[in-house]
Amino acid sequence: MEKHNQGLLILLLTFFLQFSFAQEKTITGIVTEDSDMPLIGSTILVKGTTNGVSTDFDGKYSINVKLGEILVFSYLGFTPQEIVVGTSNVINVKLKEDSESLDEVVITAFGIKRAKREVTYQTQRVDDELLNQAQPTRAAIALAGKVAGLQINVQNNGVNPSTQIILRGLRSIGQSNQALIIIDGAIANSGAFDDLNPNDIESLNVLKGATAAAIYGSDAGNGALIVTTKRGQYGEAMTIGINSTFTFEDVAYMPDFQSEYGTGWQGAYDPIENTNWGPRFDGQIRQVGPIFADGTFQTLAYSPVKNNARDFFNTGSTTQNTVYFSGGNETGSLYLSMGSQDTKGIVPNDTYNRTTFKANATQKLGNVELTLNSSYFRDKSNTVGNSLGSQDRTLYWFILNQSANIPISQYSDWRNDRNSSPDGYYNGYYQNPYHMIDTSRDKDITNRLNGNMSITWDAASWLTLTGRVGGNFFAGTGKEYRDAQVFTDAYTRPSPNTSFVVDSEFQRTDYTFDFLAATEFNLTEDLSLKAILGASSRTTQFHGGRVRGDNLAVPGLYDLSNAATTQGGYNGGAYSNDFESRQYGYFTDLTFGYSNWLFLNASGRYDFTSTLPTEDNSYFYPSIGLSAVITDAIPSIKSSVLNYAKVTVSNSTVYNAPGAEQIIESFEAPLGFPFSNTSGFELQNGYIDGGIKKEKINSTEFGLNLGFFNNRLTLDAAYFKTITTDNIVSTTTPNSSGGSSLLTNIGELEGTGYELSLGGKILKAKDFSWDMTINFATNKTVVNKITDDLTEVALSTNGEFGVYAVVGEQYPTIQASAYYRDPNGNVVINPSNGNPLSTTEISGDNPQSGLKNLGTTTPDYIIGLSSSINYKNFRLATTLDYRTGHVYYAQGSDAMEFTGRSVESVSANRQDFVWPNSVVETSPGVFTPNTTIPITDGRQDFWTNVYNEIKENYVRDATALKIREISLSYSLPTKYLDNTGIQKLTFGIVGRNILTWLPAENRFSDPEFGNNGGPSGNAIGIGGYFQSPPTRSFGFNVNIEF
Amino acid sequence: MKKYLNYFSILCFALFIVSCSDDYLDVNTNTNSPTNAVLGPELVLPVAQYWSAEINHRNRYSNTIGNLFMANWSQSDGFSWYSDEFLYNITTSFYSIIWDRTYRNALKQYRVLQSYEGEQYANYSAIGKIMESYHFQILVDIYGDIPYSEAVLRGENPTPAYDDAQAIYADLIVQLSAAMALIDGATADALVPSNDDIAFNGDMDLWKKFANTIKLRILVRQSGVGALNSSFSELASVGFITDDVVVQPGYAVVENQQSPFWNAYGKDSGGNVINNNQATCATPFVLDFLDSNNDPRIDFIYKEPATGHLGVPQGILDYDIPVVDQFDPEFVSLIGPGLLKSGTQDSVIFAAADSYFLQAEAILKGYLAGDAKAAYENGIEASFDYLGATGASDYYSQVLPSVGWDSSSNKLRAIITQKWVALNGIDAIQSWFDYSRTGFPLNLPVSLLASTPDRPVRLFYPSSEITANSANVPSQPNAFNTKIFWAN
Repeated sequence: MEKHNQGLLILLLTFFLQFSFAQEKTITGIVTEDSDMPLIGSTILVKGTTNGVSTDFDGKYSINVKLGEILVFSYLGFTPQEIVVGTSNVINVKLKEDSESLDEVVITAFGIKRAKREVTYQTQRVDDELLNQAQPTRAAIALAGKVAGLQINVQNNGVNPSTQIILRGLRSIGQSNQALIIIDGAIANSGAFDDLNPNDIESLNVLKGATAAAIYGSDAGNGALIVTTKRGQYGEAMTIGINSTFTFEDVAYMPDFQSEYGTGWQGAYDPIENTNWGPRFDGQIRQVGPIFADGTFQTLAYSPVKNNARDFFNTGSTTQNTVYFSGGNETGSLYLSMGSQDTKGIVPNDTYNRTTFKANATQKLGNVELTLNSSYFRDKSNTVGNSLGSQDRTLYWFILNQSANIPISQYSDWRNDRNSSPDGYYNGYYQNPYHMIDTSRDKDITNRLNGNMSITWDAASWLTLTGRVGGNFFAGTGKEYRDAQVFTDAYTRPSPNTSFVVDSEFQRTDYTFDFLAATEFNLTEDLSLKAILGASSRTTQFHGGRVRGDNLAVPGLYDLSNAATTQGGYNGGAYSNDFESRQYGYFTDLTFGYSNWLFLNASGRYDFTSTLPTEDNSYFYPSIGLSAVITDAIPSIKSSVLNYAKVTVSNSTVYNAPGAEQIIESFEAPLGFPFSNTSGFELQNGYIDGGIKKEKINSTEFGLNLGFFNNRLTLDAAYFKTITTDNIVSTTTPNSSGGSSLLTNIGELEGTGYELSLGGKILKAKDFSWDMTINFATNKTVVNKITDDLTEVALSTNGEFGVYAVVGEQYPTIQASAYYRDPNGNVVINPSNGNPLSTTEISGDNPQSGLKNLGTTTPDYIIGLSSSINYKNFRLATTLDYRTGHVYYAQGSDAMEFTGRSVESVSANRQDFVWPNSVVETSPGVFTPNTTIPITDGRQDFWTNVYNEIKENYVRDATALKIREISLSYSLPTKYLDNTGIQKLTFGIVGRNILTWLPAENRFSDPEFGNNGGPSGNAIGIGGYFQSPPTRSFGFNVNIEF
Repeated sequence: MKKYLNYFSILCFALFIVSCSDDYLDVNTNTNSPTNAVLGPELVLPVAQYWSAEINHRNRYSNTIGNLFMANWSQSDGFSWYSDEFLYNITTSFYSIIWDRTYRNALKQYRVLQSYEGEQYANYSAIGKIMESYHFQILVDIYGDIPYSEAVLRGENPTPAYDDAQAIYADLIVQLSAAMALIDGATADALVPSNDDIAFNGDMDLWKKFANTIKLRILVRQSGVGALNSSFSELASVGFITDDVVVQPGYAVVENQQSPFWNAYGKDSGGNVINNNQATCATPFVLDFLDSNNDPRIDFIYKEPATGHLGVPQGILDYDIPVVDQFDPEFVSLIGPGLLKSGTQDSVIFAAADSYFLQAEAILKGYLAGDAKAAYENGIEASFDYLGATGASDYYSQVLPSVGWDSSSNKLRAIITQKWVALNGIDAIQSWFDYSRTGFPLNLPVSLLASTPDRPVRLFYPSSEITANSANVPSQPNAFNTKIFWAN
């Protein structure tokens, strides 16, 4: 590691020296279009070199060149112009729009660059400006709504949020559905992506289908995000910039709580209850909490306290700073940045900081180019523990288990104030949450070094050889602890908290080696060939360890040596986990071009993996695609309306391999083992099919790209179909088989969908422009088959509700215990007590018996809209997205039923009532209306024991419309910056998730949250109560460049 | 330049090497956990036995449901613990953990024990068979027809067929005989378990007696049906267990190492009383029975509050009528010191009292030779011994029905009723089976929340069977009137 850093240092020093000695003529000028409107970001390149710059906000540029060199001015959608450098030091250029040059360069697998017209599959690009318009802390969060077919699920909005990145829906039951992440040409992962400073990202190219990534072998099936980080340009003037953002964050909304009934049990007031089953609020002054030894007690008015739960949460804040340097000369370029983030969470005491460093450099040595991309990341989080109190619950549970009449936020001083102290706190069953957050912490530190180095050798005019070595080193340590607390036994108190400390650490190393030989030549006058031959390998090594010690002798000393006992065994809390996996493959990629309008691409990869039995561990991944630029093939169809049309079709077959050690059956020490004089091991619960193979994904895609009105309006459309067979799944088996799961290949999933991306300049005038992109994507994955024996497989279930793959249904599906209904949909009640019957308590012969399918958890469609309005130097950018057609399970809402804070629980004034439109089944299949038999014990038990058992009640519409991002920025005109040394000064306000619309029936939380249960996080749709409530944030941003 | 080209060639060479070496991909090995290739039976057996104890004694496993169904336990004020039990809310998830854990933990592990091939493993194999029979019987008693002949084959048969309950009973007898024969036939070089056998410490004679006692339990339970009654004759020569069969791996007052019953109802590893302890108390029915028969065990089975013993009727809705807070934990009879002994207490999987009462019933019915009265009184003695109570003979000498043998006109009622008292808090699920079979103890109250005239006679097949073994699982029998075959 040290050696690596030294090498980097030497490389950097070399660059600086070279900058100091560069001697050149400087050309300045302005690039405009016909209407004299400056073209921002147009490229000026010295022909035959890679020395280039781009224009600034006013269309101005400055470049160092030698007399006689040729400058090439280009801008997307315009005809390039070449001008020879003469004696003049000023060159102003007007570019003409060109309908044919929609051919921006697409960066595809292994960093291969292709003209867009050659690409036989659909891609969508997100540039730096769009990505960072609202200054996100994580790039993935900022992608929501910006790419058709890309679904970003933010898993929580704690101080260190995580995301799911899903392209074109789910296509695998047991293996990962997350898109492959490529950073600067090397395979990375979503963790490395999250750990990048978003300000260091130049662009993201989303390769939506499997075809695009097929030559990566395994992992390619889910599409790919090609991340390109910023680098200096050859010959670019040196820029130093500072980008600072400060945002506030607060709770966006809380669940709907009832505020009619307070502390109590079975309708009676009880001063120490955590639940709200007391009498109706009457405003009387009442005893709250226990009577203390001295005979005194706390009193409060028996009335609801508005926002009592919400007020527990703070206003959080985040400060982000990035300092960057970018520049280059004719033979070298450099980009350096340093970033920091400091966050205080909405949960009191929660903090998070991170520091990022980025160094990208290139150096030319004759016909060899050396490239280094590297980043270092370190973060530190300090959050409330995950196992609070004697019940090992999460914080939000404690907040939900407080009564409606208790002003929670007034109990923060638990060390000094008697009414807030552990013994004095009113609640006899759940501890004071302020006490919990101070005495139970989870502290983690992680470090990541991500880098790749490549050498590109133009060995001949027709041959380029590239070698790349990439490394991703990720390591961390964690400590979680809880203090002991014994309560007085003079009156009812929660069970005591035992103390513990958990020390954990992990190291993960991924290495990749790639080798590519690329060649280009014309076979005939019309026929060209671009061919790539390559090999790549990848190794992952993981080590993790964890030790838990219980019952600390010295309070506050969170060290294992201070624990009375430590436990062994994987389940007991002391274990190591090590694994290694390897993969290598050979591949080729051939693109034949005909007359520059028809392209045929074929690729193949032969891949070997360590995670399958050695006798059967190799697979071939073929792909084929066709692209035709119709407007070039048949120029007559071009008109002033339609200027560009391209169609593509492609098909590929890729495979997903099982994870490391997944196919090995082993024994583990069960919880508690070893006992002092007894050791033992237990055969693992799940069992494994000996003939397991890779799962197969076949994708077909049809695409259409149209440009209208000289590309003022563009339409990208795609239709895709994906068939997944031999899914590697842990199928549910009956426990009577001696285990509850079997890892095997099963089933067939079929996914189809459309994507439309409509982009255009709605308005364009001298000072005013309005650009908008609308992304629309549908996706429907249906389960065609599970096995001959099974019609469904559970991804995650507790027997009462869960996420399943069910034959004939969309995947994934929520199943839950539901109301037993007659053929007209009326609820059937139990005539002996008037209570609705659950489908889990009716006779097993009844076809409705068991859990019921209640809807899919992936949206029918997602609409994303990005708009950017520029007026003079102001820019207003907005992104919103709308998802609908799916459901989720609101676990928090379920939890609130027991505590009597749900709105439903007061819907009948806590009285017995006749269930509306209910029927009685008088004999099997015969139903008569019930108008007389009321439910039993509407005061409490009906809600907690009957209503709460029908989990259909908590399956909610997951529709959401979110204004994800909004930002207003102002760039100071350059005229004010003359002679200040400042080249650019932009400031603005940014907002994130400032408004969310949810349907009325979703009273609980953000349906995107906590969707990561089950295998590979695929049990999407179980929204937990483990996350703090959703937040919104807004703040300020300043960007200065020198 | 040349130097860089050298690097380049090194890189290519490295790639070449990694791609061509044969064992490059040979890294898929588990270095953290053993596989059965390296694991001996002595490391398999203790885990299996550990599970046998856990399945009886964990919170909301067999013993819990037995105690709640048999009116031994109720719920103190301030807790909402046993609503489903009081409602007799039999669903596919209700206590399905018993089924799940028995198959996928205990039986799986006993099956591994029998997988070692060779004569030297005869004793381990026999233990595996005996304990399988023990568990399979309990499963039949709860569920009726269950997967048996095709069960626990894992990958070889992920969807086992169901066998007829009565046929399973018949085969269990065969298997137990085979196990005893294996022990008898074990060669000199056969491995004998030692302290890895956390029930009998390798005493194979005791294992034979235990096998014989399980046989007795099977035969007595189905004695009304009669198909196997001739098998009673096999029992006499071997003898029965005379001490409680307990599991003791070295329980410690350490997180996850406490004796399961204590862990479920006593204190946590930090020595603090847990909520379950406060939530669980006696019913008036059981207290009345003990009190009216002058049973000194009352203070051992239940902890007497300062205000005197008090029980809570199962399923009352309003705890505060007529007196507010009358049923708070400090005023009601919680689980007593004879049951909650310590965090390291032995875990009973078969009580000696049970053995004696089974013998008494078999003798009473004429299947076994012997003195039914002596067996009955030994059963009561064993119960007193377990609880640490004294005065057993004074107790059973009383002229009271279902207490004194001679003063009991209905001897079967006396045996089953005394077994109910003896297994209170220890193995109460056996009393539920006996109740379904005999209706004793008489006048056992149903919960006030019950919508049925009597308690369930079986549980539902768990949801995992319905979803994952749908082709085989029988339609769900009625839980209240479709009795297990031996109760008809």
